[in-house]
Amino acid sequence: MIQIQNLVKRYGSLLALDHLNLSIQEGEIFGLLGPNGSGKTTAINCLLALLKYDKGSVTIMGKPMKPDSYEIKREIGVVMQEVAVFDQMTVRENIDYFCGLYIREKSRRKKLVEEAIEFVGLEDYTKTRPGKLSGGLQRRLNIACGIVHRPKLIILDEPTVAVDPQSRNRILEGIQELNRQGSTIIYTSHYMEEVEQICSRIAIIDHGRVLASGTKEELKNMIKTGETITIEAVALEPEYLADIRGLSHVFDVSYKDQVLVIRCSKAKHNLVSVLNYLREKDIAFGKVFSELPTLNDVFLEITGKALRD
Amino acid sequence: MGHIIKYRMIQTTRKTSLMFWAFAFPIILGTFFYLSFGRGGMGEDMEAIPTAVVKEETSVYAEAFLEFLEQMDGTTIETVSMTDKEAKDALKDGQVTGIFYCRQEPGLMVAGSGINQSILKTLLDGYCRNAAMMQAAAEEHPERMAQAMEAMEQWQELTEETSIKGKTMDSNISYFFALIAYACLSGAFLGVQASFDGQANLSALGIRRSITPTHKFQLILTDFLVLFFIHFCNVGILTIYIRYVLGIRLGSDVPSIVLVELLGSMIGISLGMMLGCVSRLSVNAKMGLCVLFTLFPGFLAGLMFGQMKDIIEHHCPIINRLNPASVLSDAFYCIGVYDDSERLLRNLVLLGVMSAALVTVAYLAVRRERYDSV
Repeated sequence: MIQIQNLVKRYGSLLALDHLNLSIQEGEIFGLLGPNGSGKTTAINCLLALLKYDKGSVTIMGKPMKPDSYEIKREIGVVMQEVAVFDQMTVRENIDYFCGLYIREKSRRKKLVEEAIEFVGLEDYTKTRPGKLSGGLQRRLNIACGIVHRPKLIILDEPTVAVDPQSRNRILEGIQELNRQGSTIIYTSHYMEEVEQICSRIAIIDHGRVLASGTKEELKNMIKTGETITIEAVALEPEYLADIRGLSHVFDVSYKDQVLVIRCSKAKHNLVSVLNYLREKDIAFGKVFSELPTLNDVFLEITGKALRD
Repeated sequence: MGHIIKYRMIQTTRKTSLMFWAFAFPIILGTFFYLSFGRGGMGEDMEAIPTAVVKEETSVYAEAFLEFLEQMDGTTIETVSMTDKEAKDALKDGQVTGIFYCRQEPGLMVAGSGINQSILKTLLDGYCRNAAMMQAAAEEHPERMAQAMEAMEQWQELTEETSIKGKTMDSNISYFFALIAYACLSGAFLGVQASFDGQANLSALGIRRSITPTHKFQLILTDFLVLFFIHFCNVGILTIYIRYVLGIRLGSDVPSIVLVELLGSMIGISLGMMLGCVSRLSVNAKMGLCVLFTLFPGFLAGLMFGQMKDIIEHHCPIINRLNPASVLSDAFYCIGVYDDSERLLRNLVLLGVMSAALVTVAYLAVRRERYDSV
């Protein structure tokens, strides 16, 4: 559905997109994951033909995307990071206005507006102006304005920034529902949990480049970490740490603020062998956690820094 | 399109601070003008204009013009017969405002520019136009001579009533004409504000509107129509306030006043849209430009200094032809003072052309626009 090839975008001397390549298939929820300033929004703006770029090409539905590609734009819905609604109009008026920029037929528009209001759960606020809504409700209105015309392709650029947990869950469930109804979704975020929760395929980007892409399983298989064990332990001597580092499948050990973090490669019984060692040495320990690799581990291993650094 | 117009109208009229200043500022300014000048002079009759008459020949044409001037003597003008040299000396000394030359092709000499000089010119132009009409009627349609004579008599009455007894010739009236012209141009603030909502590099709403399938030209045209209507109502209310609350007579030709204000509102909005769309400047810089492009033309048209327009007319008249505030002010003069329909029409055409050009430039600036950054 979307092909981005060798996209290069510079802001003066800053290279925002560095030969970015992306291929997004119809029907998927595609996640663009990266830290702030990694180039996610720039990529989206180039995709929408809002930004000039120095090199590369963008095609949507097999056609080059240009500022006057009105037929393609008809099939796209966009929810930008910043809430973009008219403060002077009520919730219903805003949704109806933006729907009218896509749909001319009044009766169809009316039906779509009602569905969008119900979809984002703003039935009780239809006559309220955006300024009177909470941040979460404003985000929901922002989403309703972007998806009211039932587009085939929906682009959501960090739609959950500064949103309360209740609204966030509602938004994420809504995105999955839109996908079930047939829309292809591009979802950008720096919240790895969200991307992991809803996206069928993910591209991790940083410094304007795609570092890795694939399903979450494929991404996790790319890295060495198979399990991360975290243990609260008091006053561990350096020789104990050296012993733990020498256990089979353990490749990284860190100890700080009485928290021991052990990274192991993929293998069975990693936790058992670590706990056996602690008991054998009569080392007191408190809480124990064992986690499978996360996208943050993927990002950490690829870039050497955590996603939120 | 009706849908977009409806919501743009709702959205704009609910912007209370913007609407208040667009509506209230010219009214406040007008009230200050009124308080500064008082009512003195605003409604007084004008004294007849001292004019020298030089009879250069004894042809039938010269006699006809002389007779015309004698008829006007004591009402519009106060004539004194002189030789050419005496007349020029009197003009130089300021004893007379102009010299009429009675000959086959009547002539006029004035030493400056101003309302009185314009009235003398209007008299001469009107006479020449009617004389030509009479001559043509006599040669080609002698049977219509009676009708032509009647038309000429009506014109003479109109000239007396409107130009002289119309109580619209006080020099302070120029401030109010300039004020209405400024009010028309201040629509630029509405135009420039609206253009922000359409540009992706200036607002989130600009991004959202830029990625819809609605054609850019349709969005710009819609904004233009809505703002034009709102602004025209504002200017209309200002005019009613000046005329009926402050009691200042701006002229009796209401349809022409409405027409000038229509085109004036149009040029104000289109100027703002052009300023908003054309440059890559920040929002604040564009607003600054807007202030400059409304107040400075207003200054040149005499908003702050009543004689400014006349000074420019004397030294660089092209500025008055290109300055929309001057063209507007002049159009009001044509209605309220000169009674010059030809000149009014020229001004209206000029305003229409300027407005169309500005909207076209605005559209071309944002058509297929990709931004360096958003």
